Amino acid sequence: MLRHVAGRTGQALVTIWGVLTIVFFALHLSGDPTLLLVPPDATAHQIAALRHQLGFDRPLAVQYLSYLGHLARLDLGQSLVQRLPVATILAARIPYTLELSAGALLVAAGIGLPAGAAMALWRGRWAERALAPLVLAGQSLPTFWSGILMILLFGVVLGWLPTSGAQGFASLIMPAVALGALTMSTFARMMRVAMLDELGRDYVTAGRARGLSLGAVVLRHVLRNAAIPVVTVAALEIGNLMAGAVIVETVFAWPGIGQLAIQSIASRDFLVVQAVVLFVSVVYVLCSLLADLAYAVIDPRIRLSG
Amino acid sequence: MRTIRRVPPGILALLALLGAYGAVALGAPWIAPHDPLHQSLLLRLRPPLYRAPSGTVFWLGTDDVGRDLLSRVIFGARASLAVAVLSVSVSLLVGTPLGLLAGWFRGWAAVAILRIVDSVLSIPAILLAVLTVAVLGPGFFDLILVLGLTRWPRYTRVVYGQTLQVATRPFIRAAELAGARPARILLRHVLPNIAGPLLVVATTEFGLMILFEAGLSFLGLGIQPPTPSWGSIMSDGRQYVDRAWWMTVFPGLCLFGLVLCVNLLGDRLRDDSR
Amino acid sequence: MRQRLALLIAPLMIGLFAAPLLAPPAIAAAAKTTLTVDLANDAATLDPQLQWDTDSYTVYRNIFDNLLTRDSQGKIVPQVATSWHYTDPRTIVFNLRTDIRFQDGAKLTPADVAFSIRRITDPKFRSPQQSQFDVIRSAQVTGPAQVTLHLKTPYAPLLAQLVKLSIVPKAYVEKVGNTAFNQHPIGSGPYRLKQWQHGVQIVLAANDAYWGGKPPFRTVIFRDVPADSTRLADLRTGRADIDHQMTADDAKAIMHDKKLQVLSTPTERVGYLFMNAAFGPTKNVLVRRAIAMAIDRKTIIEALLQGYAKPVNILLTPASFGYVPDIPAWPYDPKQARALIKKAGAAGAHLTFLTSPSYNRQITEAIQQMLDDVGLKVSITQVDQPTFLRRRQGPPAGAGNLSQGLWSCACQDADGVIWPLFHSGSIWSKYSNPAFDKAVDAARTTLDPKQRLADYRTAFTILHRDVPGIGLYQAYAIYGARRQLQWKPTPNEAFFVKDMRWK
Repeated sequence: MLRHVAGRTGQALVTIWGVLTIVFFALHLSGDPTLLLVPPDATAHQIAALRHQLGFDRPLAVQYLSYLGHLARLDLGQSLVQRLPVATILAARIPYTLELSAGALLVAAGIGLPAGAAMALWRGRWAERALAPLVLAGQSLPTFWSGILMILLFGVVLGWLPTSGAQGFASLIMPAVALGALTMSTFARMMRVAMLDELGRDYVTAGRARGLSLGAVVLRHVLRNAAIPVVTVAALEIGNLMAGAVIVETVFAWPGIGQLAIQSIASRDFLVVQAVVLFVSVVYVLCSLLADLAYAVIDPRIRLSG
Repeated sequence: MRTIRRVPPGILALLALLGAYGAVALGAPWIAPHDPLHQSLLLRLRPPLYRAPSGTVFWLGTDDVGRDLLSRVIFGARASLAVAVLSVSVSLLVGTPLGLLAGWFRGWAAVAILRIVDSVLSIPAILLAVLTVAVLGPGFFDLILVLGLTRWPRYTRVVYGQTLQVATRPFIRAAELAGARPARILLRHVLPNIAGPLLVVATTEFGLMILFEAGLSFLGLGIQPPTPSWGSIMSDGRQYVDRAWWMTVFPGLCLFGLVLCVNLLGDRLRDDSR
Repeated sequence: MRQRLALLIAPLMIGLFAAPLLAPPAIAAAAKTTLTVDLANDAATLDPQLQWDTDSYTVYRNIFDNLLTRDSQGKIVPQVATSWHYTDPRTIVFNLRTDIRFQDGAKLTPADVAFSIRRITDPKFRSPQQSQFDVIRSAQVTGPAQVTLHLKTPYAPLLAQLVKLSIVPKAYVEKVGNTAFNQHPIGSGPYRLKQWQHGVQIVLAANDAYWGGKPPFRTVIFRDVPADSTRLADLRTGRADIDHQMTADDAKAIMHDKKLQVLSTPTERVGYLFMNAAFGPTKNVLVRRAIAMAIDRKTIIEALLQGYAKPVNILLTPASFGYVPDIPAWPYDPKQARALIKKAGAAGAHLTFLTSPSYNRQITEAIQQMLDDVGLKVSITQVDQPTFLRRRQGPPAGAGNLSQGLWSCACQDADGVIWPLFHSGSIWSKYSNPAFDKAVDAARTTLDPKQRLADYRTAFTILHRDVPGIGLYQAYAIYGARRQLQWKPTPNEAFFVKDMRWK
């Protein structure tokens, strides 16, 4: 078991290093921010001087090693646009994305899980036929489209909710719904499969034979057993949610790290982009690791083979 | 090879709808009532069913530089379908061989490939796409390259897993013992057997690529102006959404319809293959 | 059991739904003493010397005082400096006010002024604005209320550039360091920074000890609202008092709204079309003249800018020094344009229009169609802003044949416009004419305004003949505001809240 954990952790570290390297080189190949920082009447000489002061005229390999060196000392560097430590900037924006992801998870689970359960329990009947496309519709909606229409309807026409920004709980509703709709179908599908698996088990037949209603069996046993694969799916979805948050945050001007990343790529604020990608990949890799380990705990075959 | 059974009516209907989209995309120059690039600066932001003084009717209204929205939406189907088809093809062409190699030969090559796959998959997809556009630049062919280069790991992972499973089957071992070369085995025996799951992934990816193209065009990083794309029409129309809702609603409906159709198809295929 | 549950849940549900509805009244009550401004972007930094960015400057202009400023007519007038004179063409002496205090109570002394200048010109500080003050060799304290600047060369636009120099407190900056100063800046202006939620909003509080008098609002909130339609919605619902960057189309939409008004003013920003005189079909001056005659400026201004722009005859606006009104622009004459293109043998020639999302897409597409109509084949290449700048400022072959934009040096002087755009050797210039170079170099180093104007007349005449670019329009700054706001926007787009009032 320990060997399995160590192996997977090692893999995770290599993966994260790979992410950092890919993003570093992609960013630096796309140019540097010097031209964006200076006034229009700066001369070539002045621009070259600033570029030298910022260190962008060093060979790429040197810049890469310097970056890794700073990372090893847990120094994420300074933003070129805001001239503040990247760690400070990230610390201020991460909570917003976490809030949005949590809200979206609630929406996705809140609608997806009951829908999946319903589809499993009423299999073959019209309810299942009707629910499946509805749930799938959530995954097919372009988030920027649903976002803009929601803002129009609830923000402008009806005036019920704030049109953008992050001022209080009300501002979270629309972005969370827009983002949650994406993963709704994954939860529904997972729940349906897990429940169908459980419903076919012997203990269900036995319980019903003893006279328990289907509802009681479901509530007391099926849901609990179906919870495990669903929770592991949820862990993996967190990574997807944070990725999907990028467009939702942009449309709703939600000040999370997704919006920060898009703005920073546009302004070639390298260190900020690298830090955001690092954060998201670490979260994603951690969740995959945890999900993997959860499976190992449940499935003895994996554990014993070490 | 799986025996071809009768195609269920649900799937037929979906395929027909998909075919309709394809037909519109291919036949755009003949179906569209106007030139999608022709501007009439004095007829900006007119509502659907607007009749111009000259007598022409703009069935879906005009956009922010006076172009016919219906024609632009029709031509927009080309962008969505062309990008999706081509980028999925590129990803398949790159990802499948890598997955087969990793699954068949294992060893260091497989480890390297899988590490790269893991790393690419750990980067949030849209950020990776935006980043790659920053390097390659926007534009139709660069977009295909961007999407092709960022999505191949998804196929590699599935192909790898499936190849591992199939490789242990008796008839494969038999072929090996008979002296068949790996390339022959992979192409003639392994590939056909993993085609099912691969098709399911490709269908999901097809829907995703349509959404990605729209999303990137929406962010201004996809199809270049003045070529219409549903995403860029919606981006152009965003600042007029309260006064010219048609620029947002109609392209969005088309996009939603296409992606829903593709996703329903994928869902059915996944259910059938189980 | 069920009833008790219902009793518990019902008020919870009501509370949940009622919460968002409680928000609006609170905003209305605070309206009178709080001014809320919707900005299109968050400020990058509030340290006045660390960026070149309109949204930062919009906010920090209210926190800091500058050495000089402009009055409502655009004339340069005293602010921290009370008077000045040149002792020789390379030395200028400034006399300063003695009654200014920073927001931490410290007095503003000549040492602070000298420090501010040294800081912004220090290469180690890496200020992006360095280039604007590069000509200053040194700044010395020469009296209890006096500072002397030594320049590398005589520089006529110096005063115009000093309008943008903010004074920072030497003792405080040296005590807390640059990073901390960036997070908690302190100036001598009418408002001090109270709170900054990055990506959300900046809150300023009135500085009642301001030397210029008590500021008009207790609190000013600058909110970060990137989407045009959202800013408009905020204005309509009363969530914002000012929309700082209103599009012309939105301005037209609120024209008849009784609760709102459109405040606009011509600015020094000149909308222009650049033509690559060093590469491709645009190398031929006949083609460039044809392009100049193919563009229907009137329709662009009326249809796309809703009249919120004025035509210009040269690549400069009347708001800038050096403007010459009697040099004619090339007239709109598509027939003549078509004839010229045929004469030049350029019918059907391929031109690349390089642009980025930062430039008005509708104008780019309109110009493309206008040029297509006279026989040229124009294809638009849209890249992102960093790539655009790299290509546009690089070798002529990669800079495209055409590009469009809005130029402003924030200095209201021709030197900041046509020198960088067309002087040989400048990164923006794909054109070389020694006579033009001589004229603008002379205009830069002469301090006599009459002589400068004559030099600029020569320069603009050459530009009219050679057409390496044309001026399209003088841009207006458009602000949407509540009807009760009393404020006259200025051509240099300085956003001084202290000049605003409720009616």
